[in-house]
Amino acid sequence: MTNEKIQLVPTSRFTIEQLTAIYNQTRVDYLVPMPMNSKRLADYIADYDVDLEHSLVAMQGDELLGVAMLGVRAGRAWITRLGVLPNIRRGGVGQALMNGLLENAAKLNRNFVMLEVIKNNVPAHQLFLKLGFREIGELLVLRRAPVVPPPDPVVADARRLERVEALRLAGRDRGTMPWTNQSETLINAQDVSGLQITLADDSQGWLIYQRQKFILTRFAYKTETGNPTTVAYAFLSHLHHQYPRLDTHLENIQVNDPHLPAFYEMGYVESFRRIEMWLGDPPPELHIKASI
Amino acid sequence: MIKILLVEDMPDTVELVRRALSAHDYEVVHAPDAETGFQLALDERPRLILLDLGLPDYDGQTLAGWLRAEPSLTGIPIVAFTAWPQETARKMVESYGCNGYIQKPIQKVKDFVDQIDSFLKTG
Repeated sequence: MTNEKIQLVPTSRFTIEQLTAIYNQTRVDYLVPMPMNSKRLADYIADYDVDLEHSLVAMQGDELLGVAMLGVRAGRAWITRLGVLPNIRRGGVGQALMNGLLENAAKLNRNFVMLEVIKNNVPAHQLFLKLGFREIGELLVLRRAPVVPPPDPVVADARRLERVEALRLAGRDRGTMPWTNQSETLINAQDVSGLQITLADDSQGWLIYQRQKFILTRFAYKTETGNPTTVAYAFLSHLHHQYPRLDTHLENIQVNDPHLPAFYEMGYVESFRRIEMWLGDPPPELHIKASI
Repeated sequence: MIKILLVEDMPDTVELVRRALSAHDYEVVHAPDAETGFQLALDERPRLILLDLGLPDYDGQTLAGWLRAEPSLTGIPIVAFTAWPQETARKMVESYGCNGYIQKPIQKVKDFVDQIDSFLKTG
């Protein structure tokens, strides 16, 4: 890196292939490697409402140094995919990208900004604290392998929910959930459906999910009445009995989620943890937190 | 020659593995992503699959699940190749039916080749 000034350029001026390449180059040495191809990054941009006009690439001359993206939804913004080339880290590029994104969020009147950082990514965590972000809680990334035999489904009245009904249930009061799990993500996603469970003791709950070609993902769920662990075990038993050959990948489940014991009993394992951080306060319309 | 399928997206790592194993009379077949890796496993019938867990289309765990669910590939050792912390790597290996893992980055070529030999012997 030279002394030439760092320029911040909107990501909308680059092709998806160029953005994929710079993103992957910034991640080559990450503790948890998350490389993407162009299709996967394009889906990510669409599903998570990434605003390419207000997301940034850091450049010096013709050289691409790093990238950071801004998701924009009603009353809130989200910082994601921040990365700097390994050989020029600790040179101010990450902070320049962050400052640029926060300025762009303010221009859009988004003063409540969310992000997640991988636990033990100390330099990034320190940078976010320095910029005024505060810790909200820990999030789990969970996996369940298709080699785990599906259990017999719990005896219950299980009713399939088609997309419209599933999205109606997922509701609108989920704006302070981690960004990846908010209702807008499910609305943007293809092949979303769900199932509603009523147990013999009248316990009741529902699960909304996305079924991709090889993967079940993007869960939203709620226990309406009864014990959350019992209800979750019931809906998971029906789901995995129905799709025994699909891998399951869940992002950003809150560590204090009362449904979690059922996930572990069903063969889910923890992949890694993130820390959720916020800057500013949620606007009043987002204050009602979903009880999942 | 014993054929090894390497599923890995990082060109530098591919080159290093290819050089290390070729020098010990292994033939390395390479796939840069999960879908290509699955197809090459079916087409080439390698003696061992060395699998990076971070791939650009589907991740390595998902590919391990496909490989383990394919009856014609039963018995081929799958070895995860990862920089993840040991505890995480161990959990993923157990969950997804892999035979074990080799830690990245390769520190000593001889140790790496010995590990591959060992997985081939124990299956």
